[in-house]
Amino acid sequence: MMSDVNPLSRLRSVPTGAVADPIAQSLRDAGKGNEAAFADFYDLTSALVYGIVLKIVRDPSMSEEVTQEVYVELWRLAPRFDDKRGSAKGWAATIAHRRAVDRVRSEQAHRNRDQQEHERSDRPSDVVSETVLDGLDHARVQNALAGLTEAQREAVTLAYYGGHTYREVAALLDTPEGTIKTRIRDGLSRLRDDFGVAP
Amino acid sequence: MTNHDIHHLAGAYALDALDPEERWAFEAHYPTCDVCVQEVDTYRTVAVHLAEGVTTAPRADLKTAIMGEVATTRQVSPLVTQRVDELAERRRWRPAKPMALAAAAAVVLLLGVAGILSIGGGPSDTERILAASDAVVTSLDGESGSVQVVWSEELDKVAIFGNGLPDSGSDNEFALWAVQEDGVAPAGLFDAADDGGVSAVIDVGGVDPAGWGVTIEPNGGSEQPTGEILFIATL
Repeated sequence: MMSDVNPLSRLRSVPTGAVADPIAQSLRDAGKGNEAAFADFYDLTSALVYGIVLKIVRDPSMSEEVTQEVYVELWRLAPRFDDKRGSAKGWAATIAHRRAVDRVRSEQAHRNRDQQEHERSDRPSDVVSETVLDGLDHARVQNALAGLTEAQREAVTLAYYGGHTYREVAALLDTPEGTIKTRIRDGLSRLRDDFGVAP
Repeated sequence: MTNHDIHHLAGAYALDALDPEERWAFEAHYPTCDVCVQEVDTYRTVAVHLAEGVTTAPRADLKTAIMGEVATTRQVSPLVTQRVDELAERRRWRPAKPMALAAAAAVVLLLGVAGILSIGGGPSDTERILAASDAVVTSLDGESGSVQVVWSEELDKVAIFGNGLPDSGSDNEFALWAVQEDGVAPAGLFDAADDGGVSAVIDVGGVDPAGWGVTIEPNGGSEQPTGEILFIATL
């Protein structure tokens, strides 16, 4: 992965006190029509974007389609990127998740994924290619999720990784909708503390 | 839905786990609510961490395909949201008509739509908005067509009329935006008829507009304007 650009080398090349977020810088430059900067932005974020899309969509070729839509959208909107409103990485992940969810929800009219959801949730992806950094991130997130109650973990992961609405999660778990809403919120609050996100 | 209920949607919203109706109700609400804004920001950041837990490298040739499409895709113009009057000065967006003209236009408008107002029993939403003592009429003129926005703060609704709107395409809707001191807030979505006419009532969700704007957005709307601005004017 990331054949020609190693994100670590990029980070090290940034002088102290200069731009600390190479992802934001590449997106800002891309916003001026700079395709090479957008290629850098892609290298720095594609594993994040494709990973979350694949997790939700599951089908690799459909995931590539959605990932392409996400990047063309990010390119189109890059002139409006404003890092005062959030990080570039966060923007990419938010758009990727939203697009993936929109895709599976429109696909749901054709086939019902719900029944297969639980058995398939641990299916390994076709492309297993992780850097050490990815591995650390994965472990960190698994640890944080392990700190939730079983009920919170189930609600958060079915919603975020499963791409379900909280009402669908409630139906899947045969639990009142209000309870699911609360579990999602409580689970996220707990994760916020674990991840050290400022409240 | 009461305001108390809507605050509890921040978590589900940040995970894209709301039905479309709730999504829009929440998006109409949360930009005006400091608590919800902070919660959404926080939970979105948590969600990015969750995404980092499942990173997977795509096939190398996906980049080639994407860069190929990027090379032939036009970018949007940057959005200037600081001040409504700055926006209004920009030549391609004509400024609002003076109030008297707008009021006169509204009278013509009232006559024009009178035929559809009195169907059914009691007063329609449209009639109630037009009759509201606090109704504010704003004329928005664009390169194609014009739109009148009638807003009643008390009713928390907008009636929007117009003609000459472009075809939004089947995957898109028109979005009304409230241009506020703190930025742009979504005020609601509407569709136009095939002939480019529009007559709609929108629940605007407690906006505090200094102006209105209209863009075309993907179905379901966007949190912030992403499409070209078709109409914009100060109140």
